[in-house]
Amino acid sequence: MLLQLKNIFKWVNSGGQRIFLLKDINLEVAEGEFISVMGPSGSGKSTLLNVIGMLDTFDEGEYNFLDESVHTLKEKHRSNLYKEYIGFVFQSYHLLDDLTVQENLEMPLLYKKFKGSERKAMVADMLDRFNIVGKKDLFPAQLSGGQQQLVGVARALIANPKLILADEPTGNLNSQQSEEIMELFKKLNQEEGVTIIQVTHSEKNAAYGSRIINLLDGRKV
Amino acid sequence: MFKNHIKIAWRSLRKQPFFTFLNTFGLAIGMAGALLISLYIHDELSFDKTFADAERIYRIDTDIKFGGAEMRSAEAAAPMAAAMQKDFSQVESTVRFRDRGSLLLRKTGTEANTKELRVSFADSTLFDFFGIELLVGDANTALEQPNTMVLTKTAAEKHFGVDNALGQTMLLNNSDTYTVTGVIDDLPKNSFLREHTVFMAMSGYADAQLINWGSNNYYTFVKLIPSADVADFQEPLEGMLDTYMLPWAQQHFPGITKKSFIEAGNYLRYHTMALTDIHLYSNRDSEMSANSSIQNIYILSFIGFFLIVLACVNFMNLSTAYSLKRAKEVGVRKTLGSNKMELIRQFLTESGLISFISLLVALILTMVVLPFFNELSGKAVSIPFSNTIFWGVLLLATILLALLSGSYPAFFMSKFNPVKTLKGGAQSSVGGGNIRNTLVVFQFTITVFLIVSTLVVFQQLNYIQSKDLGFSKGQIVLVEDIFAVGDRLASFKEEVLKIGDVKNATISYYLPTPSSRSNSSYFMEGAMTQENAIQMQTWNVDPDYIGTLGMELVAGRNFNKQYATDSTAVIINEATLKVLGMNAEEALGTQISQDIDLERPQFYKVIGVVKDFHYESLRENISALGLFWNQTPGILAAKISPGAYTETLAELENVWETFAPGQPFNYRFMDDSFNTTYEAEQRLSKIFIIFTVLSIFIACLGLFGLAAFNAQKRTKEIGVRKVMGASVSQISYRLTVDFLKLVGIAILISLPLGWYAMDKWLQDFSYRIDIPWWVFLLAALLAVGVAILTVSYQSIKAAIVNPVKSLRSE
Repeated sequence: MLLQLKNIFKWVNSGGQRIFLLKDINLEVAEGEFISVMGPSGSGKSTLLNVIGMLDTFDEGEYNFLDESVHTLKEKHRSNLYKEYIGFVFQSYHLLDDLTVQENLEMPLLYKKFKGSERKAMVADMLDRFNIVGKKDLFPAQLSGGQQQLVGVARALIANPKLILADEPTGNLNSQQSEEIMELFKKLNQEEGVTIIQVTHSEKNAAYGSRIINLLDGRKV
Repeated sequence: MFKNHIKIAWRSLRKQPFFTFLNTFGLAIGMAGALLISLYIHDELSFDKTFADAERIYRIDTDIKFGGAEMRSAEAAAPMAAAMQKDFSQVESTVRFRDRGSLLLRKTGTEANTKELRVSFADSTLFDFFGIELLVGDANTALEQPNTMVLTKTAAEKHFGVDNALGQTMLLNNSDTYTVTGVIDDLPKNSFLREHTVFMAMSGYADAQLINWGSNNYYTFVKLIPSADVADFQEPLEGMLDTYMLPWAQQHFPGITKKSFIEAGNYLRYHTMALTDIHLYSNRDSEMSANSSIQNIYILSFIGFFLIVLACVNFMNLSTAYSLKRAKEVGVRKTLGSNKMELIRQFLTESGLISFISLLVALILTMVVLPFFNELSGKAVSIPFSNTIFWGVLLLATILLALLSGSYPAFFMSKFNPVKTLKGGAQSSVGGGNIRNTLVVFQFTITVFLIVSTLVVFQQLNYIQSKDLGFSKGQIVLVEDIFAVGDRLASFKEEVLKIGDVKNATISYYLPTPSSRSNSSYFMEGAMTQENAIQMQTWNVDPDYIGTLGMELVAGRNFNKQYATDSTAVIINEATLKVLGMNAEEALGTQISQDIDLERPQFYKVIGVVKDFHYESLRENISALGLFWNQTPGILAAKISPGAYTETLAELENVWETFAPGQPFNYRFMDDSFNTTYEAEQRLSKIFIIFTVLSIFIACLGLFGLAAFNAQKRTKEIGVRKVMGASVSQISYRLTVDFLKLVGIAILISLPLGWYAMDKWLQDFSYRIDIPWWVFLLAALLAVGVAILTVSYQSIKAAIVNPVKSLRSE
């Protein structure tokens, strides 16, 4: 068992009313799964992903990640936990504009205190694996959307996470680029055993996963 | 359209209160500072310009070398004025002043004296010459008769008021009777006569009638006819050496010729000094009133200019930075058909609005701090509210400021590409980062420069105040106007010495703090020729002088009552040894005299050598000085035990009352008196500090705003980095270090500049510090520290934001 959510509630108070973003979510994710989270806009997909990624807190319930109870952990331990085990992929890539491809890839390693030589090797390895060696000195603005997302995925993978969280990873891409990214996810999942949770609107993309979770108004349906 | 602009401008300012506050506040402080400086400078530049025909009035200055040292005097010989009136057709009229310092004044038949601080003999032409009107009395005849006097309103009101003044008789220093023949209004604060309260008729002063070209004791002013050119004047002025000075000298120093006079290295040169230039450009040995210097005006102008520039830079920086928020507005406006000019106008309206709000705030600020500023600068400036020119200049300056600071942001913003900004890619479309960085560097360069300057000025002042002066000025009370005691000087001193806490006391006119000076030529026995003259200060003191003032004898002995011959003895200082070219042992026993033209000169025997002590400001070198034993009234200096001031002063006053009943008891502490020597520097340093703090503050306001903007601009980056595992401290470090680099560059630029400028400033002092290295270190640390404080607030604030918020899909 990689992670387990038990009766998770999350809400905000607005105008004297309590609005639920997540309502009584129960979820177990085993290592090696490839899960797609679906639902209409505002149904809580991204919120769920952020809670799983420990970027956001929840108001009620329990969350265990690799036998650690996340809800009792201090901020610092939490960030150490996700730093080590989780990689993020975003819809709008969120590469840093002022850094080259190579530097973007290297950034997470800096925060994980890898040595210079190790970082170099890991970046080179990743560039190799994703076939982007030739683009290592380019800036994000010089790449197409698909290429940028490729770098985004590479960055998420570089520190060998157990779990990849992808929030509409193909939302800004055309169909051909989308397919390439999804193929990549599938390959990572099947060949390397990386657990993936993705948020998507597209039935086609969802079909790449091994399990689909549907959300409506913060509730699992 | 304009109304619409104003409306929109007002709304957008209200929408961003933080930005509006920073901008308005920064600008207002800059404006208030510049306004204060402008008022100050305006006052300095207005000196003596209120007198009628001021532009045609000149003072005659004298450069003279006759014997040893050179004198650069602001005074001329007594017969000078009359000679010029007679010989030069360009001269319309003349007036002379003979300074009498302070004196005691009382109405005949009353007992209580008042002390008038500044009194002069003046020619009867005084009032007509300067266009001074009499409140009562006749301007043409007021000072004609001997023993007549004219008072200012303030002085007259102390005794009988203005209306009853005419014909009153008054006693001067308890001895001479004068009749009041006129009252004038108080003299303008911005004139060389500002300290004067009493003028006495020159016709009653015997020395003024003598033909004596050898001593220069008369402030001599000439007014030229309107068509005259002062340049034509220099040559005939030089001719006066031949026509007047040499013939007179030959009577008193037989055998002297122009050739021998010049060959001995002597000279006598007269110069003209425009009345309106005196306050800022004249720096002679005997100025009539304390002058300022044009250098200070330059320094202040620079500071004022810097303040405005700093404030403008803030405005530009903040405006371009915050334009990020308005990129979308620009895009929408452009797609709705606004052209570039229209947008520029819109943004300029905004900067105009901010400028005028700032002006309002600045005026209020100025009014609030003006009293303190006046106290600090020793002036009485005020905001000329009723002066239309003032308002005109102010409004014009404000509009100019608005254009200057608003134009760059306006052009910058109006260039935004609507397609890009509307797509939401605002971050990448807002540039101008390099210009902003340059401006920050520029601001901090000025700031660090000012910090260095302030520190150096302080060090130098500190050095002056703690330097071993060769005498001790602590715990010494000075009681002035001892002549009021009359001939009971000796017993007065004895009584003072009986007071338990008075350790020692001496009486003399001459003190190493501002007091009387007397310079004369001396000749060594056996070398009694004009070429061997030694210019030497002649100070009459008593045997307790050296002891009371804690001076040190390096050779020989002090005056001693046991030796009757000590009345013809002299104690010289080390500087005199240098002039004589002797060591202390050789000098002891030698004899000097003033009387080159007498057959049996009066000789003074050197019995001791006193260690050099500073008796002028440390801007000057110590020159030759001789102490002579002579009982003279003047000032009583009493060394008292520390901590017993109040009781001792009360006892001193008691003694004074017994010896000089009804006379004002004037005392001061030597420390204070010493400090007045450096008043100009002290004021300058205080003004420096205030404006340095202001400029640091303004620069920090700008930096604060920029840091806020920068953090905002990098929201996405911060979010990404946090998701990738960066800690709060790593993020804040990252945000702060970028600014520190800019501050670092500023430091590198400004330190050499600061060193250069302050090295120049220090050249004015004969005794000065070497600029210590830690001044630069401290200035750099201060700048860095202030920058870190300013920036870190914003950085930390940005770093603790939850990345989920910042990375929400756009």
